[in-house]
Amino acid sequence: MLDSVVSAETPEGILLEMRPAGLSARFCAIVIDKLICTAILYAAIFIAGILGGIGIGFWLILAFLLEWGYPIYFELGKRGATPGKRAMDLKVVMDNGLPITPRASITRNLLRAVDFMPFAYGAAIFCMLLRPDGKRLGDLAAATLVVHLPRPAPKATLDMVAPVAPAKLLAPRDQAAVISLAARAPTLTVERLDELAALARSVQGEEPREPSEVTRRVLGVAQWLLGRRA
Amino acid sequence: MTPLHFEQQYQAEWDELAAQVRLIFEGRAKQSATSRPIRGEHVASLYRRACEHLALARARAYPRYMIDKLERITSDAHQVIYQRREFGLTRAWHAVAYDFPRAVRAHAGYVWLAAALFMIPTLLVGWLVYERPDLILSVVDGETAAKFEEMYSDSAEAIGSTRGANENWIMFGFYIKNNISVAFQCFAGGMLAGVGSMFFLIYNGVFGGAIGGYLTERGLSHNFYSFVVTHAAFELTAIVLSGAAGLRLGHALIAPGRKTRLQSMVDASKDILPIIYGFVVMLIIAAAIEAFWSSARWLPSEVKYSVAAICWLAVLLYLTLQGRRAD
Repeated sequence: MLDSVVSAETPEGILLEMRPAGLSARFCAIVIDKLICTAILYAAIFIAGILGGIGIGFWLILAFLLEWGYPIYFELGKRGATPGKRAMDLKVVMDNGLPITPRASITRNLLRAVDFMPFAYGAAIFCMLLRPDGKRLGDLAAATLVVHLPRPAPKATLDMVAPVAPAKLLAPRDQAAVISLAARAPTLTVERLDELAALARSVQGEEPREPSEVTRRVLGVAQWLLGRRA
Repeated sequence: MTPLHFEQQYQAEWDELAAQVRLIFEGRAKQSATSRPIRGEHVASLYRRACEHLALARARAYPRYMIDKLERITSDAHQVIYQRREFGLTRAWHAVAYDFPRAVRAHAGYVWLAAALFMIPTLLVGWLVYERPDLILSVVDGETAAKFEEMYSDSAEAIGSTRGANENWIMFGFYIKNNISVAFQCFAGGMLAGVGSMFFLIYNGVFGGAIGGYLTERGLSHNFYSFVVTHAAFELTAIVLSGAAGLRLGHALIAPGRKTRLQSMVDASKDILPIIYGFVVMLIIAAAIEAFWSSARWLPSEVKYSVAAICWLAVLLYLTLQGRRAD
């Protein structure tokens, strides 16, 4: 309910997890894009002024292309995102996780006209707030999704304690819990780490030990489970 | 097998896949610069292996960082492997020769409805304003009416008489920006259950009819009709088609039949895409004609009307007959 992850299954049978972008990220993206377009038009008007009539004619065509063609051009590029979206680490994909197709890009960008109604993207904002996947009307018709690019997870440094053999057989779920505790260890305060390790104390044996010693041994068990041996 | 063992064993494959995907991503220029060329079938098999590894890692609840890494590698490769390239000259030719006219015929009902929504107000309001010219003031204000009257008058200020190449270019840009935006809005209005498209069709019909009726009553029909008749073949048809596309979208939304409303809309937008390509091209042609041909007042009206007749005939024959054999 709180989690907005959308998963799509690929033909290879794995689930791709996508995190749809919300209103704030997409608002920033469109502001950046609009600033870029405005800057280009301002720069171009000087050149147009020098060229006279033809210049102004082409300036108007440029204004048209920037309004309608700019997002289509960039979405169909390799990165699947306009410069504004790229700056916000967003990307447009089909809602089955595939790269966006020309058809979908054209549909979603022409339907901007109705998303913009009644003013300042009112319809789009209304629609995005109602839906957990944050689609605007154009996204609905084009079957597209604006997603956050996955952030590279820092590789947890797990190799600072000596491995300890677990005191009992652990089910796969428990093994995973101990390992992920060890992976989170660097982000936790010492006190909190001790508290959490105390919950898992049975994996390192029943003898009474100091809390810090328990923590060290629980982390050691994680090392063992990962496959390290002394 | 422990997680670390697993990682050690397959790390090299994952790194290779990631490197190859990055190479594909960066394009041909960089590819030729490196010593290791890309072999498509190799990338595909590496990708399938990585998918297996991801499924295994998930099933065995391996550490989160490893699953994250595999997810990232596979989803990047997935994007590259399933990329679709739909552009190209053959494709564009196919769209012109078959897709567009066939899509228009497949949506004949919507096209007729859009044409009626546009033409009936045009003719009705045109006739009313012709009979009672003061009615023009209920459509546009007096200033606009006077401006239109001056534009099509026989005086030196009128369009075309003194217009040079420069002004023609300005108007070309203006027509492209303005007319295509109007058509896009007319189409997008279909999202509002079709009402938006209907509104734009009727609105444009009323406006055009009022101006036409008013200028005819003022005795300026020779200037007005010789100006509009040629590009109207493309422009009016394109507006009707954009409205028809919008109506289709709206209809899909109101009456999805056995599909979900969403699916019905997605399918409709797939069907009408050739019409969108088509009306954009028609509006570009219309803008060029309107800017460079229609405005040339030194041309005798006989020439203009003959060219206009040919244009109308060509557009109608193209939409009704082109690509029929492949139907």
